[in-house]
Amino acid sequence: MLEIKCPYCGKRSQNEFSYGGDAAVKRPELGKEVSDKEWDNFVYLRKNPRGNHREFWHHVAGCRQWFKVLRDTSTHEIFKTARLDEEL
Amino acid sequence: MTQEYRLKKNGYINRNKKISFKFNGKKYFGFEGDTLASALLANGVHLVGRSFKYHRPRGFLGAGVDEPNAKFQLYSKETTEPNIVATEIELVEGLVAKSQNCWPSVNFDFGAINNLLSKIFPAGFYYKTFMWPKNFWYKIYEPIIRRAAGLGIAPMKPDNDRYEHKFEFCDVLVVGSGPSGLAGALAAAKNGARVILAEDKSRFGGSLLNDEVTIGNKKGKDWADETILQLKSMSNVIVKNRSQVFGYYDHNMMVMIERTKDHIEKPTKYTPRQKLWYIRTKETILSTGSIERPLVFGNNDRPGIMLASAAKEYLKTYGVLVGKKPIIFSNNDGAYDLAIEFKKNGIDPLVIDIREKSNSTAVKEAKNLGIDIKFSHAIANTNGYKKVNSATIGKLNKDKTGYENLENVSCDCICVSGNWTPTVHLSSQSGNKLKFQEKIDAFVPEKSKQNESTVGSAKGIFTLKESLEDGFKLGYELSNKITKKNIKSSIPPSNERNQDRHDKFWCMPLPKNKDYKRCVDFQNDVYVSDIELAVREGFRSIEHVKRYTTLGMATDQGKTSNLNGLQLVSNIEKKIIPEVGHTTFRPPYTPITIGAIVGREVGKHYRPTRKSPMHLWHEKNNAVFVDAGLWLRPRYYKQGNETLQDAAKREATNVRNNIGICDVTSLGKIDIKGSDSAEFLNRIYTNAWMKLPVGKARYGVMLREDGIVFDDGTTTRISENHFHMTTTTAQAANVLSHLEYYLQVVWPDLDVNVLSTTEQWAGVALAGPNSRNLLGKLFPNIDVSNEALPFMGFKKGDLFGVPARIFRISFSGELAFEINVESGYGIFMWEKIMELGKEMNIEPYGTEALSTLRIEMGHVAGSEIDGRVIPSDLSLDGMISKKKDFIGKRSLNRQAFVELDREKIVGVVPIDKKTMIPEGSHLVANRNASLPNPKLGHISASCWSVEYNNPFSLAILKDGKKRIGEKLYALSPLKNKSIEVEIVSSHYVDPKGERVRS
Amino acid sequence: MQKYSIFSLIKNAFSNHKNWEVAWKDPEPKKQYDVVIIGGGGHGLATAYYLAKEHKITNVAILEKGWIGGGNVGRNTTILRSNYMWDANGLFYEYGMKLWENLSQELNYNVMYSPRGIINLAHSDAQLNTYSRRGNSMRLNGIDAVMLGRDELKKMIPFADFSSSSRFPIFGGLMQPRGGTARHDAVAWGYARQADSLGVDIIQHCEVTGFEVQNGKLTGVQTSRGDIKTKKVGLCVAGSTSLLAEKLNMNLPIESHVLQACVSEPVKPFLDHVVTFGAGHFYCSQSDKGEMVMGGDLDGYNSYAQRGNLPTIQHVLSEGVAMFPNLSRLKMLRTWGGIMDMSMDGSPIIDKTHIEGVYLNCGWCYGGFKATPVSGWTFAHTIAQDRVHELNSKFRLNRFSTGHLIDEKGVGTKTWIG
Repeated sequence: MLEIKCPYCGKRSQNEFSYGGDAAVKRPELGKEVSDKEWDNFVYLRKNPRGNHREFWHHVAGCRQWFKVLRDTSTHEIFKTARLDEEL
Repeated sequence: MTQEYRLKKNGYINRNKKISFKFNGKKYFGFEGDTLASALLANGVHLVGRSFKYHRPRGFLGAGVDEPNAKFQLYSKETTEPNIVATEIELVEGLVAKSQNCWPSVNFDFGAINNLLSKIFPAGFYYKTFMWPKNFWYKIYEPIIRRAAGLGIAPMKPDNDRYEHKFEFCDVLVVGSGPSGLAGALAAAKNGARVILAEDKSRFGGSLLNDEVTIGNKKGKDWADETILQLKSMSNVIVKNRSQVFGYYDHNMMVMIERTKDHIEKPTKYTPRQKLWYIRTKETILSTGSIERPLVFGNNDRPGIMLASAAKEYLKTYGVLVGKKPIIFSNNDGAYDLAIEFKKNGIDPLVIDIREKSNSTAVKEAKNLGIDIKFSHAIANTNGYKKVNSATIGKLNKDKTGYENLENVSCDCICVSGNWTPTVHLSSQSGNKLKFQEKIDAFVPEKSKQNESTVGSAKGIFTLKESLEDGFKLGYELSNKITKKNIKSSIPPSNERNQDRHDKFWCMPLPKNKDYKRCVDFQNDVYVSDIELAVREGFRSIEHVKRYTTLGMATDQGKTSNLNGLQLVSNIEKKIIPEVGHTTFRPPYTPITIGAIVGREVGKHYRPTRKSPMHLWHEKNNAVFVDAGLWLRPRYYKQGNETLQDAAKREATNVRNNIGICDVTSLGKIDIKGSDSAEFLNRIYTNAWMKLPVGKARYGVMLREDGIVFDDGTTTRISENHFHMTTTTAQAANVLSHLEYYLQVVWPDLDVNVLSTTEQWAGVALAGPNSRNLLGKLFPNIDVSNEALPFMGFKKGDLFGVPARIFRISFSGELAFEINVESGYGIFMWEKIMELGKEMNIEPYGTEALSTLRIEMGHVAGSEIDGRVIPSDLSLDGMISKKKDFIGKRSLNRQAFVELDREKIVGVVPIDKKTMIPEGSHLVANRNASLPNPKLGHISASCWSVEYNNPFSLAILKDGKKRIGEKLYALSPLKNKSIEVEIVSSHYVDPKGERVRS
Repeated sequence: MQKYSIFSLIKNAFSNHKNWEVAWKDPEPKKQYDVVIIGGGGHGLATAYYLAKEHKITNVAILEKGWIGGGNVGRNTTILRSNYMWDANGLFYEYGMKLWENLSQELNYNVMYSPRGIINLAHSDAQLNTYSRRGNSMRLNGIDAVMLGRDELKKMIPFADFSSSSRFPIFGGLMQPRGGTARHDAVAWGYARQADSLGVDIIQHCEVTGFEVQNGKLTGVQTSRGDIKTKKVGLCVAGSTSLLAEKLNMNLPIESHVLQACVSEPVKPFLDHVVTFGAGHFYCSQSDKGEMVMGGDLDGYNSYAQRGNLPTIQHVLSEGVAMFPNLSRLKMLRTWGGIMDMSMDGSPIIDKTHIEGVYLNCGWCYGGFKATPVSGWTFAHTIAQDRVHELNSKFRLNRFSTGHLIDEKGVGTKTWIG
């Protein structure tokens, strides 16, 4: 069972969290013209790396804050967690 | 009954308490502290089971978790349980057990015919046959194989036992209470660490229970007992027996199963049967010991042939002789301990040692005791169908490919020792790569991936002295990382027999022209010839060998067979073992009761049940409930013998004619506050929100980024910077997470806060022509006229002293209002409404009538918003703002989403105006077309229109709007229905929406 | 090639089974192949077999970095079905069912196709209606489906929770009678043996490390055992597709997630069907060995670890006990995990790519095993003819751009929600 350090609450077991996917994916700015390719990149296409992965998690059964996690997808090791306004 | 094989002394059993039990219908006695296995052996019972495939007679091989053969069916008054391991289960008064997988009895088993046919049933035979004729596999062969397979019988009834979960944290978890584990626990505990010591067996001490050693001038067992007492007295230590750590998961999460009930003679009603412990540890000491490997020789699988370490445990721990004329067959010194124990108890063993010689103290001691030892000898074969009665032994030739001579020696048991396999399961589960250690011919942990350290024989250290040193050292070092107290414990001196090297030879050659079966996997019937066959056929990877032969796939998961199988492949392939590799260790270490993993989430508690504050009222008034997500909602209020359809019709009619009240508490409610709230809604919803006046509500549709409709609902502007959003019951939680995501991740600059208030408010809908009259009575101080409170208007009110929110919104399409009060006042509100509404013929209505009302009005709900539609499919084109961007908008111009003939919402009426169209029917142009018959759309929702008194359905239909007026067929082959229908507008009743505005 | 039958078994018994030939050879890789298939799993082996058999292309290599059949074909819950709602899926998998029905005979290898019926339990009228939509769609596509009432189910699975203490009572169910199971290892081995006998080189322990592309055309692959020239390469590496695609500078609409399954200890047969729980993600069947084979939900975060965590197993088994309360007293013997290619609409991709000679077979989500024959069959066609077949014409890569999605569950792009 993963142990995830919520930047606001501290270490908790994974049961309190829900996953939010690849944090490298950036939503295009609202109202901005985007090409089909850029849009597909945002909605569907993923790097899906084996190894280090920056991802979002949501402390859904806790403080309800979204935050960032740097995790190895091949070992599940978590190297770092950070608030959204912090560098990961 | 006498316990003929019980010694007068020895053992840690309680001889003052006799326990009776039944095995295969016969009554026996044992003592408190026995396992079922030791008690049976005390009574001389060796034939206890049959092998899986060939039904060969089987006896005990081990004395612990490694036991592959003695798996029994257990019976109690309430239930039965298959596959319990006789070496693991403690004897309790009245225990009833039977052998499995044999018929009619273990003594005479018809299945043994398979043994005669075994020549044509080698490994993987089933892949090569049973293919003709084609349908016979499923109809004939498979049922026969299924009946023959399986071990015990599953209970058919629910489990009445209770299983609990516990969560713990500690600094150092020590798994196993052998010498290194005790040392580690003691050192860590004395150094101030929070320690948990877990022992799988009922007794602490591991090998110290059975070995003739001393620690600190005490007998090993006494040192173990004292150490346990000392640990138990410390407040920073939890000491647990009958507790097996079975899984090492991510981030040092260890899971342990504690057996809390089955060994107790008279448990209370409240005693849980087992407890599952989730332990998050900072450091782990794996002192999991090692398991003896069998030697492989002709007919080495007969009852009476067992591991030497098991025989020693039966003798020392239980005071049981496994035989009175034993042969000990070994390739190492460990088995000499057993020989000496036999001799000390008046039994003369014969030792067959593969080695040419040994200079160990154990061998010297044995020789001094006058024990008969035959070096350079091996057992080639054994005899005795249901119990071994003799062995064919011989001197091995120089290159160990055959025998120089062969002779028959009678015996009543054979105790074998093929050296030790470290128990590396937990270490491997933690991600540790294993390395092969030549010195011991087995795998040991290499480099830790998590905070895990292995000590003692689990990492290939087989002397007591080194194990103790190792344990003390690690216990101190690991604990000191955490406590930094620098309190070192002194290591007590120890004394033990020294050992010489073992012989790597373990698989005996067959005598010339003999074709004896040499067993590798005892439960699954995998023999040397099977593994040879697999390799011959190209199954050369160890995983292929395992899968093809089923080696190591039985309920013991190959604890005694995997390494032997591996060595065999390595021998045949002439590859070194590291090249062959090993199969993967996965949790659990031993089979774990499913109920224990599930815990308390059973029966009604499988998932929480959410009830509105008015639930009891509904119950009292004959509501029939329906599951809506986790909520229970009244589906209808049953009167007399009426059916669901009758009730829905009655309730809906009353709404159309008079007034109805519906509990809408379960709708998701989200409070939105902040100066950018309107801007936020503008981005979340497809329509415009900036100009919504205070005191007004608006219907909104939100999309996913891929353009698909996510949810809908009304949102009300309570004040300039305060909105009240409603969501569907099903999506409430998802919508909140969605909003939080966008606020926190995407637009952190927006000044908005969101909070779920679903539980805060009790909600009712009042619908029907009389609803305004009633509202006036409920709120005499408020002007509820159409002008003052128009459609989509909002007012705060005072419901006889209770603050309330009044929304003029309508799902039923009637003149309607929703009232929210704080949850605690819900029942007050409901009863007040019922009281004042009585004269207006108010009646409650459930979700079924609600469906009827919304369907004939053409309002969409979950059956249309099914995660595959875009707004225009639901005639919600008007909801899409052209002026602003919003979530998912960019996706709406994709090719498939702008195709003109997309499936769109329409109404459907049967031509005969009588036949209800089953939901889930499909619309086709030609009812008799050959299959596949092209589908034009499907019926999403059906009702009996109370307005027109005929059936009406909603459908999502290809090119739907253009087909209005067309005749099609609604087909439901599942229900054998074919109905001619006419396509009409989805707004069947009040298409202009006059009523809601009236 | 030796023919397998009861007669050959008896004949070989007389020579102590010493004369069986290898099921497939272990050749060294050649320098050049007409087609290289990457991935010796079920789909790769089947593709190679159909390339040789249907399209007479036999100069084919299968490159497998480990041992054949070691990926998802060897770590699934062995369920076969074509009970899909959308035509694209239904017609595709139904063709697959027809291939399954004759597979043992075609491969001369007993894959133990067992049409024992797959039942989806429904726990409300609304769910029954959703199932009706799917079942009716199946029937109109010529696929077998029947609706079962609560009373019928009581007779078929009396040990299911029909009590009043059930949290989500059973209302009925949808059944595909021809759905069932097959023996997973046998499928891989059967295809391997036939492909080998038709001339395909099965090369194990050979990892593809790169691709050679010139002017938008594939010219070869680099491997741990040397470079191989080829003009066509087919990727059949579900679970790891993104890793190979990255070497081709492609981002795919795929995430890798771990799906766990587990088995109980073997018991005498009591469950004769495959049953899925409708109030959660749980399905169960009983293997011929007697083990209850159980599976359910993803662990829920990107993973290549082939190992999962206990909360998911706990969650899945709680659903199991909710469905079959008697499971509580059985013991869980073994758990394992497989890596799924979770595509963004839950349906697979079998297509050409923008690089000439590179073909893609991926995105199988949880459903790859049952697709093994039809996936191989259509992929072989796509590679051999350089165009998609009618059956896989909807499983294009560009459907994500055009919006022609095949979203069977309607959950969108959050692949981890399943």
